[in-house]
Amino acid sequence: MSTRLPALGSLVVVAAVLSALPFTLSDYHVALAAQVGIFFVGVLGLNILTGYSGQISIGHGAFMAIGGYTTAIMSRDHHTNLVLTMVMAFAICFALGLILGLPALRLSGVYLALLTFALAVSVPQLPLQYSTFLGGSGGVQSSTTVSNVWLYAAAWTCSAILFALAWLVLRGRTGRALRAVRDSEIAATASGVSLPLYKTFAFGISAAYAGVAGSLFVLATNGFAQPTEFSVTLSLQLLIGAAVAGLGSLWGVLAGAAFVGLLPQVSTSVPVIGSAHGRDVVFGAMVVLVMLVLPGGFAGLFDRLRALGRA
Amino acid sequence: MAVNRKKVGALLCVLAVTAAVAGTAAASHKGTPGVTKAQITIGGTFPLTGPASLYATIPAAEQAYYAYVNAHGGVNGRKIKDIVIDDQYDPGQTPTDVQKLVEQDHVFAIVGSLGTAPGLATWGYLNQHKIPQVLLATGDAYWGNCVHRTCDKTNIKKSWTMGWQPDYPGEARLYAKYILQQNPNAKIAVLYQDDAYGKNYLAGLRTGLGSHTSQIIATQPYTVTDTAQVVGAHVGKLAQSGADTFVIFATPAAAIAALATETAIHWSPLTILNNVSANRVFMLLAAKNGASLNGVVSTGYVESQTAQPNLSGMKLAKKIIDATKNTSLETSFSEGDNNLVYGLGVAWTFVDALKHAGKNPTRASLMKALRSLNESKKNANPFVYPGMSVETSKTRTFPMEQLIFEKWAGGATGDWKTFGNVLTSGH
Repeated sequence: MSTRLPALGSLVVVAAVLSALPFTLSDYHVALAAQVGIFFVGVLGLNILTGYSGQISIGHGAFMAIGGYTTAIMSRDHHTNLVLTMVMAFAICFALGLILGLPALRLSGVYLALLTFALAVSVPQLPLQYSTFLGGSGGVQSSTTVSNVWLYAAAWTCSAILFALAWLVLRGRTGRALRAVRDSEIAATASGVSLPLYKTFAFGISAAYAGVAGSLFVLATNGFAQPTEFSVTLSLQLLIGAAVAGLGSLWGVLAGAAFVGLLPQVSTSVPVIGSAHGRDVVFGAMVVLVMLVLPGGFAGLFDRLRALGRA
Repeated sequence: MAVNRKKVGALLCVLAVTAAVAGTAAASHKGTPGVTKAQITIGGTFPLTGPASLYATIPAAEQAYYAYVNAHGGVNGRKIKDIVIDDQYDPGQTPTDVQKLVEQDHVFAIVGSLGTAPGLATWGYLNQHKIPQVLLATGDAYWGNCVHRTCDKTNIKKSWTMGWQPDYPGEARLYAKYILQQNPNAKIAVLYQDDAYGKNYLAGLRTGLGSHTSQIIATQPYTVTDTAQVVGAHVGKLAQSGADTFVIFATPAAAIAALATETAIHWSPLTILNNVSANRVFMLLAAKNGASLNGVVSTGYVESQTAQPNLSGMKLAKKIIDATKNTSLETSFSEGDNNLVYGLGVAWTFVDALKHAGKNPTRASLMKALRSLNESKKNANPFVYPGMSVETSKTRTFPMEQLIFEKWAGGATGDWKTFGNVLTSGH
């Protein structure tokens, strides 16, 4: 998600590979690849917030929940076209993200982290409270379910569209303003950048991305939305994805999404510790390792490689 | 630019390898998936880690039973291989895990998977692909109610899905009867988990009480994540209502807190505890937290290693567990854990069905066998309480419909003592 358009060549390669994959992979691998696409959308959104505006969120799983429930409920009650429900998830989460951005204006650092953490904890409780509409712990089942290939296509199409949107938004004035806010709020204000406008906007747009990711996430569970799917762990996974991705690179986000999307599955096949009980151990160890070796995430790695190439 | 070209080259290499590997994995298998001449591969998802990991005994017991069967020649010459995946009781993870079992491990059937929500998150996929999802470890009524009619708006009948244990509302109706027998004018207070699980129980209790429903004078919902203090506060409120009968529809952690609070505030009503939480291991934990326990009433449907060690089923259980010495399963079991006996019972039913599914079982023939179970008398399941049957038919979709009452005696070192006859709970 560089403010430069990534080299056209690499974009074409990514697109070509992605469209060829479903023809070469087994159905299970297509499902895994779709999972990566879903996290790509979520990590991309969170990257705008943390990477560009310098705000933190441990609560984006909550927006995924809202997006996911939007899809499941609209499909259950109105048989709404699933693609349309994703657009709705985007709009609803954008609005809610803006609202969350308001208190976030007054908070930063650990206080903002706590506020968003509270969101991650409390939103999944709402379906239990309003169980007639939101299905309680029994969950909400959509009226239509989709195949893995459909999901794959949807996830990566969304990824492409939202990636293009992020690039359009971030390349010019807005991106510059956001980065100015991140680097020094005082300097940004002095230069005429409206803090409230840009900070809330960053929250809104990243929440909207999480909403779409949530909508896809629910389709990946056979259209079944249930509170425990959206635990705090999910928010943490997004944050880990964003940290692994680093800032400002398509490859970085791709690597971050693949990391959180695939590692929990892959880690069970790590010998000895990866046995049935060791999934989280491997995941945690890998996160520590990546952060030690690549403090700037994969984006930092690619930057370093590029610098090496020039030298 | 040079780096870029290298990068693209590397990427292409990786993708070529991935595609090749995937291609091999996708190579088609002949015959019934998971069934070879020498082996039958099945799988299931369970919480081995995370908040519900107390249930990890169940898959371990199932694997122990299959190991025992394999050591005695297997079923029709085939050994049973059971692949267990940890889904952490998180329905967001279960679908990928189940897809892995089906499409990577090519399992014959999903057997015994635990949890209502994980089950609901995968039954659409499994039924669509006509893959048995059987003997689920959850007592909700979905698994029996949706065999012949559609239960959600996807319009797919869930005829490839079935449960095993008695369902929750039926259990609650028995408690209602018991309460009225003890005291027709009982004033009842209910603590229940604020979700489908707790509410289904409460609904069953109301149905059972019928015209006496108004005798429920106080109810308090709690949420799964509530701390012991919060649960304790709920119990305090219920005690103030003046009720003389206290019904607990909870999961183990909350039940332990509720029982301990009762003793701490010197409230001694007739206490009824649902069987999910009545595992002896949990009761002893409650005793450690100060609960006096004597006189608590619950129900059961499997035998007890500690209360009935001389039953032939429990002797067999001991043999099976002893045989796990020096294997990876060795540390999984503790004496008197109902979940151990439960797991053995489920595995026994699966093997029973497999024996009746023909020499060369198919997924359809397995379902047929499971829909016509007749585990009673000579073919009784040795781990299920004596006199109870595990039965299914065209019209009967809930395998177990019987329970027996039990009462706790002996305090902190005590145990459950069954009383009365085996009762039909229905569903």
